[in-house]
Parts: sequence; structure tokens; C-alpha cells
Amino acid sequence: MFAALKSFLTKGGSLLGADRGSKSAAKSRLHFVLVQDRTGLSNNEMAKFKREMVAVIEKYFVIEDRELDIQYQRESDCTTLLINSPVHVRRVKTASERLEVSSDSEDDEAPDSDSSTTGSRTSRRSKKALAAAAS
Amino acid sequence: MSANNGKQKGAESGAEVIVVTSGKGGVGKTTTTASLGAALAMRGKRVLVVDADIGLRNLDVILGLENRIVFNLVDVAKGVCKPAQAVIKSKKSNNLYLLPASQTDDKDVVSEDEVRAALEPFRREYHFILVDSPAGIEQGFKNACAGADSALIVTTPEVPAIRDADRVVGLLSAKGLEPRLILNRLDLNMVARGDMLSVPDVQEILGIELIGVVERDENIIVAANCGEPVVYNQKSKAGPAFNRIAARLCGEAVLNPYLSSESLWGRISRRLGVA
Repeated sequence: MFAALKSFLTKGGSLLGADRGSKSAAKSRLHFVLVQDRTGLSNNEMAKFKREMVAVIEKYFVIEDRELDIQYQRESDCTTLLINSPVHVRRVKTASERLEVSSDSEDDEAPDSDSSTTGSRTSRRSKKALAAAAS
Repeated sequence: MSANNGKQKGAESGAEVIVVTSGKGGVGKTTTTASLGAALAMRGKRVLVVDADIGLRNLDVILGLENRIVFNLVDVAKGVCKPAQAVIKSKKSNNLYLLPASQTDDKDVVSEDEVRAALEPFRREYHFILVDSPAGIEQGFKNACAGADSALIVTTPEVPAIRDADRVVGLLSAKGLEPRLILNRLDLNMVARGDMLSVPDVQEILGIELIGVVERDENIIVAANCGEPVVYNQKSKAGPAFNRIAARLCGEAVLNPYLSSESLWGRISRRLGVA
């Protein structure tokens, strides 16, 4: 019962509307605009950076989601680049798969019926991902 | 953290020069400079407030000293007068002095080196030299930062002000200055209904040390109308807030009542003994 009361008390602020007002919009807009300001990167450059990051990750991991969340966190003496990847890493690629991805990159597409992973499928998936990200 | 281990120089070893800046205009730099200057003077510190907003001076009117200006910062920088000739004593305090800006020059009439050299002779005579920076990040801002040992960034809990503050944090960091934040014009009612960024929100976004919070207060305008810094009005909300910041600048650990506002529910529950 105490836990429930505590939960109510700690969430009281939001029950009273702290999460409903325009502040959350201000916060998310600031997060977005500050990333751009702090890096000095244009939208295009940032999109390119994300694509290349995804490509690097996909060289070693099998992933599902490709939306990278990039933030900058300023500490007192340095700025940290936080790349939060909500990708679901399904498994780590084997050495031969990694090799295949790099050497076999001109391999043509095949229907992608199932997400179970074989070497060739992995290769296709990563290419598809790149194409999707680039479009 | 630097509030406690920051440079605590006495008059013997030279003043601490603090630039007050913001990026965006109209967030309260001049009011903050005047109020902190007066608050530090009330604590027995010898304080020089410097108006570095050349061409758009206002620190003189906030302090009610506009009728006493003879020479200014540009005159000192160019050697037109002796440093002591340009300084005006405050009406209210024997510890507070103003070095006004020129109203007829452009911001680039002086260089960073000239400003730095102009402030140098004052270091021996004061505990604190507060430099009121112009808005923007151009030459006037650079001049204001030229001789600074530390920096205060004033912002309001609004998107444009915070964005510009963040830009200035980056520029100051590049100069080796570690700015501390003053959050001005906080409206607790708006925060409570979720229509204003809270103190922790702003801290999280900017990621720099918070030295103080000043609530939105009509008394600021009344004080400006009369040319008397708001710290002389102890019944106001803003006056005591600036006094607390001044105490922190002197290295005292003063509780920030606004930092615990977010955890009001936590405090209530602690009192109830459930947390």
C-alpha cells in the first residue's frame, strides 16, 4: 500500500498536468535543434552519418530497426556523442558472414520471406537496409 | 561544483572578473549584472560593474547613474582618461562602482586586447568585476569575455533563449571558460501546469552548473523604473534570489529552494514516512 501511495505521490506532478502542457514540446524541439547546433552538421550530413553508422553496425550485427537516436551531452569539460540505437540486435554475425557481406555486396536481391538468418539472407538484409535508409 | 572551488580572490590578489552573457537579448543580463553587483556590495565586497554593451548602454539607467557619466570604457581603453576618472560610485552603496559604456561608438571600436588591458588596473582595487555583455556572439560579446576569469549565462525557460545559451556555452568552453547558469523569469505556476520548462529540465538540456534561479517578478520592472537594483527590496522574490547567487559567488553554500521544487511530492512522501 505504501508503494502505491509513494507511486501516486511521486507521479503527482504529472497527474496535475506536468506532462500534458506545452513543455514537452519545448523539450523535444530543443533536443532536436541543439543536436544540429552543437555539431554544425546539416540535415543532409546528419542523415548521411546515420546511414553510414547503420551500415557499420550491420556489418557485424543482424538488426531489425534502423532508427538511430543521436544526442549530445555536454559535461563540464567535454561533449559526449550519444548514439542510442534502439535496434534489436538479433545475433552477432560470424566471421564468415562478415566476410561475405563485404565481398558479396553485389549479390542480387531475393524474396525476404522470413527473418531467420542465413549467411546470404543476412547479406541481402543489410543491403536492403542500406537502400531503405538511403531512400 | 566550481561554485565552491571557484577562484576566490581577495582584493590583494586581484578581482575575479565575471562576464554576464546570454546570447539572446532581453533575458535579463543587465538586470542580473546590476542586481548581483549590488548584492555583492551589500556583502561587503568591492564591486565594479562594467557595461560592455558599447552603443546600447543601459547598466547606467538600471543603477540610476545615467546623469553622472563623464568618461566611459572606450575612453579608458583608448587612454583618453585615467581609469579612475571613468568610474562612478553608486548612490546606494560605497562598495559598488560603475564603468559605463560609450553610447556613441560602435562595438568594434575597441579590440579584445584593449578591453583586457583597460580592466587590468581595476583588478587591484575590487573583489569582483562584473562585465555586462551585449547580446549576440559578435565582437561586442568577444570584447566582454576578453578579460574574464569566469562566466555567468543568463537564460529564461524558453526555447530561443535556451538555444542561444547553449551556443554561448560552446563558445565559452572553447575559450576555456566554464560558465555557470542563472535561470531567470521562472514562473512556478506555468511549470506546475506543464507549460514551462522546469529547473531540472533546463539543467538537463544545457548540462552546466546552475548557480541560481530567479522567479518572474514585477518588482524587477519597478526597480528599473526607479533606477534602484531589486536587491534593495527584500520583500520581492527576485531580490533574495540575487542575494543567494551573490553568496554563492562568494563561495558560500546556500540552499537553492528551486532545486527541490520538482521533488515536492518526494518531500511530502518523506514527511509521511513512505519514502
